[in-house]
Amino acid sequence: MKSSFKPETILSYIPKILQAFPVTMEILIVSLIVSLIIGVLIARLSLSNEKWLKNIAHFYIALMRGIPTLVLIFLIYLGLPQLALGFGINMSKISKITFIIICLSLGSSANMAEMMRTSYLAVDKGQREAAYSVGMKGFTAFHRIILPQAFAIAIPTLGNNIIILFKETSLAFSISVVDLMGKARAISSASYGANKLEVYIAAGIVFWVICIILENLSKFFERIYTKSRKKVAI
Amino acid sequence: MIDFQFIIASFPKIIGAIPVTLLMAFVSAIIGWILGLGIALIRKYKIPLLSQLCAVFVSFMRGVPMVILLYISYYALPIILYNYGTRIGLNVDINLLPAIVYAIITMTLGQAAYASEIFRAALAAIDETQMEAAFSVGMTKRQGLQRIVFPQALVIAIPNLGGLFLELVKGTSLAYYVGVYEITATANLLAMPAYNFIEAYIITTVLYEVISFVFNFSFRKLENKLRKFRTGVVVY
Repeated sequence: MKSSFKPETILSYIPKILQAFPVTMEILIVSLIVSLIIGVLIARLSLSNEKWLKNIAHFYIALMRGIPTLVLIFLIYLGLPQLALGFGINMSKISKITFIIICLSLGSSANMAEMMRTSYLAVDKGQREAAYSVGMKGFTAFHRIILPQAFAIAIPTLGNNIIILFKETSLAFSISVVDLMGKARAISSASYGANKLEVYIAAGIVFWVICIILENLSKFFERIYTKSRKKVAI
Repeated sequence: MIDFQFIIASFPKIIGAIPVTLLMAFVSAIIGWILGLGIALIRKYKIPLLSQLCAVFVSFMRGVPMVILLYISYYALPIILYNYGTRIGLNVDINLLPAIVYAIITMTLGQAAYASEIFRAALAAIDETQMEAAFSVGMTKRQGLQRIVFPQALVIAIPNLGGLFLELVKGTSLAYYVGVYEITATANLLAMPAYNFIEAYIITTVLYEVISFVFNFSFRKLENKLRKFRTGVVVY
């Protein structure tokens, strides 16, 4: 086997891979929004006083954390339509991107719920009591006093969760969605795999750079958000 | 609808793939965490050049999805091994190398990067005075690290290492793409002929849930056991 590795061609694949950037961003942003919505609901359940509601939330979080995202994708994309067909429901009209968004949202929602729960609990109890003492009602106390502080605590974790979610979008290729990774595979197979190593290194660089940008954005938001709130700190 | 006969027939076959999954996870974790501790120490003591190289390595491994890393090593390692083999005058037949080797190498490097960050945070959490105290009773730097700093840092790192290990076990499902017959790949293989996907993946899901539960439970136990050592670390 002779080595045909041409490192100088790596950079030339980056613009081609980036053509799929909008698809990846669409998956990332929609999944992020959906996972935050599910996360709020689950976090609300896990903070409830009813024992059975708490148990539902814990069960959901454990379930989603226990299953690899790839298996979840196969289960929902390959398995679910088959099951639905048995009940006379035809799911073949649902696009692949929708499937991938559903899977990533479900997978990420457990992390989001845990993030919200822990940051809510990290806000000092005295803050709520203080809000009540100046005559605020439950919801006002929550969204004026608790939420801004909990959000400040959650920012680093949120940034981390977004980065994890972004890296998981690379699994969209497993059901042949043409995202960044899918594009890389398409380029590689168009040349019968002759340049596969160069293409995958190029894809790796693309993901790496975007991750670094996301990481710095997260740090930036953390800084500006906590700076204006220094006085809140105990 | 659900084919129960298929479930009964394939359940033992998919269970039979659990050792492959666990082998990948344990080998990568053990070697990776040792490497990770090394990286953490190099970066803590800011050894010139090595420290910067490690920082780039860690950033790369953490920034690139595992699937891409697996593909890169799957295509790059044979070339590297072949070239190295011919240089030292050894004609290695790289086709003999099973796919699991590539998967383990990649995951080991990934674990090294993630674990190094955990160890770095844990080492930073140990007060500098602990090392000074070790020096003051006549210990060498090595003794101080080994006897005073590491045990305390390990206790702090355990919960995060537990989380990392669970992620790793789940991550081994990606080895499917480089042709390792672990749980996911075996399930897929069995499901293919008659399109028994829902059955195969229900089994897979159950197995992963059980594995996750067992490890989660054991790490919790370990954490509680080690908690008593935590009282020694005074945080102010």
